[in-house]
Amino acid sequence: MKEAVEAQQSGQFEQAIRNYRLLLEKYPRIAEIHSNLGVALAGEGRYADAIAEYQRALAIKPDPQVRLNLGLAYYKAGQLPLAVDTLKKTPRGPQSLTVLADCYLRLGDNKQVIDLLTPVQKADPENAAFNYLLGTALVRDGQIAQGQIVIDKILKNGDSAQARLLMGTTKMMVNDFAGALEDFGKAIKLDPKLPEAYSYYGQALLSTGDQAAAKKAFQRELESDPNNFDANLRLGVLLRQDQENDEALQFFRHALEIRPKDFGVRYQIATLELAKGQLDQAQRELESLVKEAPTFTEAHVSLATIYFRQKNKAAGERERAIVAKLNAERQANSPAVKAER
Amino acid sequence: MIALAIATLLVRECARCHPAEAKPHPATSMAHAMEAPADCGILRTHPRLTLKKGKYSYRIEKNLYIVSDGSASLTFPILWAFGLGDAGQTYIFEKDGVLHESRVSFFRAIDGLDWTLGASNAPPANLMEAAGREMGKQDAAQCFACHSTRAASLLVAGVQCERCHGSTDAHLATLAPMKKLGRADAEEVSTFCGQCHRTWAEIAGQGLLGVTNVRFQPYRLTNSKCFDVDDKRISCVGCHNPHQELDRNDADYDVKCQACHAGGKAGAKACKISRANCVSCHMPKVEMPGSHYRFTDHQIRIAKANDRYPN
Repeated sequence: MKEAVEAQQSGQFEQAIRNYRLLLEKYPRIAEIHSNLGVALAGEGRYADAIAEYQRALAIKPDPQVRLNLGLAYYKAGQLPLAVDTLKKTPRGPQSLTVLADCYLRLGDNKQVIDLLTPVQKADPENAAFNYLLGTALVRDGQIAQGQIVIDKILKNGDSAQARLLMGTTKMMVNDFAGALEDFGKAIKLDPKLPEAYSYYGQALLSTGDQAAAKKAFQRELESDPNNFDANLRLGVLLRQDQENDEALQFFRHALEIRPKDFGVRYQIATLELAKGQLDQAQRELESLVKEAPTFTEAHVSLATIYFRQKNKAAGERERAIVAKLNAERQANSPAVKAER
Repeated sequence: MIALAIATLLVRECARCHPAEAKPHPATSMAHAMEAPADCGILRTHPRLTLKKGKYSYRIEKNLYIVSDGSASLTFPILWAFGLGDAGQTYIFEKDGVLHESRVSFFRAIDGLDWTLGASNAPPANLMEAAGREMGKQDAAQCFACHSTRAASLLVAGVQCERCHGSTDAHLATLAPMKKLGRADAEEVSTFCGQCHRTWAEIAGQGLLGVTNVRFQPYRLTNSKCFDVDDKRISCVGCHNPHQELDRNDADYDVKCQACHAGGKAGAKACKISRANCVSCHMPKVEMPGSHYRFTDHQIRIAKANDRYPN
């Protein structure tokens, strides 16, 4: 055990893994060995194996630290909903809170981040990680003024990549794409490894019409974080535009693993199937999508196309009528029409 | 000139076996959807076009596009002219290997230049932005795919036979039948023509509301109460012959309407007001702001005065 722990502490994970496995042959019911093996496997980036060992350890003896490690392994493996479920059951400490908040952020659940971190940030207003996560969630939730207060706190400590990323995000929200592009560029200069910086840079490039550069930016993001949802989704869309459908599908599928219920990704996959002539598959996906999201206009549009291609005129016309109704409602609620009244 | 010569050669080849379709086609607007400056009638008949907007002044002269802010100026040779001017003719130029769309276009209704559609929304930050909009690769590919033929290989200006019917080379080699739109149902034709004129799915999915969608005829037609996916009589080619120039005489379309509305289709009522010039009432002309052009709204309907534009 001592040899294994020493190997692990000196970063020789393969050696540690071999030693732990030998120990487990003799002592398969000792939770600490499973747990340590999990840590060594995670150190090697073998998160699926690490998760299995943590689960074995927890089955033998529940331990909050092991649960936290399990949550972290899920997080690193990109299995964010499982990471959330696990981390919610761990005692609240700075690390678990930070990772849990980041999971919510990556799942697009900004309100959860705000609920989780607002009281914590009040108690620890100088915590840079909390400020950054909370500021990002507020901006993404459209609470720009509240987000700006948090950004100012970060800026007090000087120009930083985090602050630039947040400022850029704010500018994206108000459609100042050129300004956002500048901020994201500076964030990358200050810290090229800052999570999401390249993803946001790519989104700003897309908004300013530079698709080729955006593609490269998303690829850079995925090199450092293969589990970035937006980079996966948007790179998939760009690849699809270039008719590289199979490659696009891989990115969409991975995005769906990160956010299993995301309507946008499911729609992209369905329309990709439609483009490939896999009408039945696309129809099934879109029918389930509109059941869960009945006002998703684009899904109804694609569904109408499928029905007409299948010569199902009645269903196609029904979908077109739904689209017309949804668009009319949208028009009636548009600011221009409201102002006219 | 080379582009025109190639187009002529291609059409002449088709005309040997299909004279009725191929011979009138070179006179159509579609055949001239894109022109090299040397072949461009508007540039020939308007040797000097000018416009002053704010601090920027624009000049098109000797196939050059010149933009000035009073202290500096930029000059670009015009590479291509897109459109024939009814709803605008826009110019394409190149800067550092990247294609740009001119910020000003020619409009026949005012016989001069004005903002290209959409260009007035964002004031230019500098002289280059005042000159035009950078076209992304995808953007450029889409523009050329509709305004030219063989866009991906040998670029031939305008919409020529191959653009709709497929490869002439393959047809001549095997004499296999080519794509015939006349055999397709209304839905298929709308989707086909909509590749350029925009399909219902494309516009409905974007939720592009308001009068700007009046120029997307397949979308508007599909929204018509009388649109029937299975009925060829309501397809684009049911009324328009793409091999000939657009017929602008309203009365010529009466027979098309009455094919259904004079007892030819169950449920299609006859008009109580008139049996002549149907389209003048049921397909009203709508001006799109900034276009200097009144588009025929293809959403066929009983249009009442002061009705909101239906999406």
